[in-house]
Amino acid sequence: MMMRNNPVTLAHYLLRQSRLAQAGVLIGFWLVGEAIARTIDLGIPGGVVGFLIMLGLLMTRLVSLQSVKRGADWFVSEMLLFFLPAVVALVDHGEFVSLMGLKVLLVIVAGTLSVMVVSALTVDLCYRWSASHEPRHAGE
Amino acid sequence: MSQDMLESDELLTILIWSAITIAFYVFSKVLYRRWSYWWLSPLVVAPVVVIAIILSVGADYREYLQGTRWLLVLLGPTMVAFAVPVFERRELIRRHWAALSLGVALGSVTALATAWGLAVLLGLSDVLRTSMLPRSMSMPFAMEVSSDIGGFPEITAIFVVLTGVLGAALGQIMLHWLPLRSALARGALLGIGAHAAGVVKAHEIGSEEGSVAGLVMILVGMINVIGGGVFALGLL
Repeated sequence: MMMRNNPVTLAHYLLRQSRLAQAGVLIGFWLVGEAIARTIDLGIPGGVVGFLIMLGLLMTRLVSLQSVKRGADWFVSEMLLFFLPAVVALVDHGEFVSLMGLKVLLVIVAGTLSVMVVSALTVDLCYRWSASHEPRHAGE
Repeated sequence: MSQDMLESDELLTILIWSAITIAFYVFSKVLYRRWSYWWLSPLVVAPVVVIAIILSVGADYREYLQGTRWLLVLLGPTMVAFAVPVFERRELIRRHWAALSLGVALGSVTALATAWGLAVLLGLSDVLRTSMLPRSMSMPFAMEVSSDIGGFPEITAIFVVLTGVLGAALGQIMLHWLPLRSALARGALLGIGAHAAGVVKAHEIGSEEGSVAGLVMILVGMINVIGGGVFALGLL
């Protein structure tokens, strides 16, 4: 509230402009999440704890969307780079170039098709059901 | 003196392998933006080139990982960053929470059940089967769940990428076959079935599809990580 009434301070202005500063803020919240997750041994990663904290702060308007959006968009859109080192582990797993690798592909293709059919039909049926029931509840 | 040498050696490893990884990541992104073939995706080109370099200079994965581990660490803050797209889609959640949560729940159960069942059917080893379970989640969550349930996160990473690359292509075919009326269902198909690669594909189809796909991808990850954490605690 105070921030909205006062003129925007220099620090706040910089935060809204700088993707790097916002990325730093997100790293800060991740560290806080890690600290909490380790202290009370929640069994969930610090990133998820940080996610819940950040979502709570955004919902309660304690943190404005503009002060983290640019940094967050950057993290999400460059996610691929962050997990590249894990994919390169393939270099140590030549055993996948074999019948076993073919079986793995089969599991992935068949599994993915099933997941797609189940989730899309579930969502579509729910959507149609609620669309057909909406008019009756509209007056409530 | 020798301590100093060792440290500068480590720094050099980090600088060289990080520079190579980032350079080919950026390069393949530019390529993909110009020609959008699946085999030009940064998910395919960058790892293949980096692997070729590792093999040709006679380095090994341990050395490479030592040089690029900091990139993996950034998956942590990426999970925190997911709060922003979820917050931006709060209206979508409010309107369609029932359809979305049912789709995410049944989709996740199907992913786990088919990975387990098919792996048993085809006689894959226990380690492969366990590492296969989180393959439909997006990467930060999948690697987390994999280590929670006793799989190998780096093997899971390979399955996750295969699921994304194949899933984006399969998803496009499925969209022609399934009689889906809503953008909600089309987005869910791609986001739950093919995580990040599916989200990119969904954005090509429409902004609502992309928005839904991005949301369900995060929801799938969150639900499974929390479930996997409970599972790991139960084992202790």
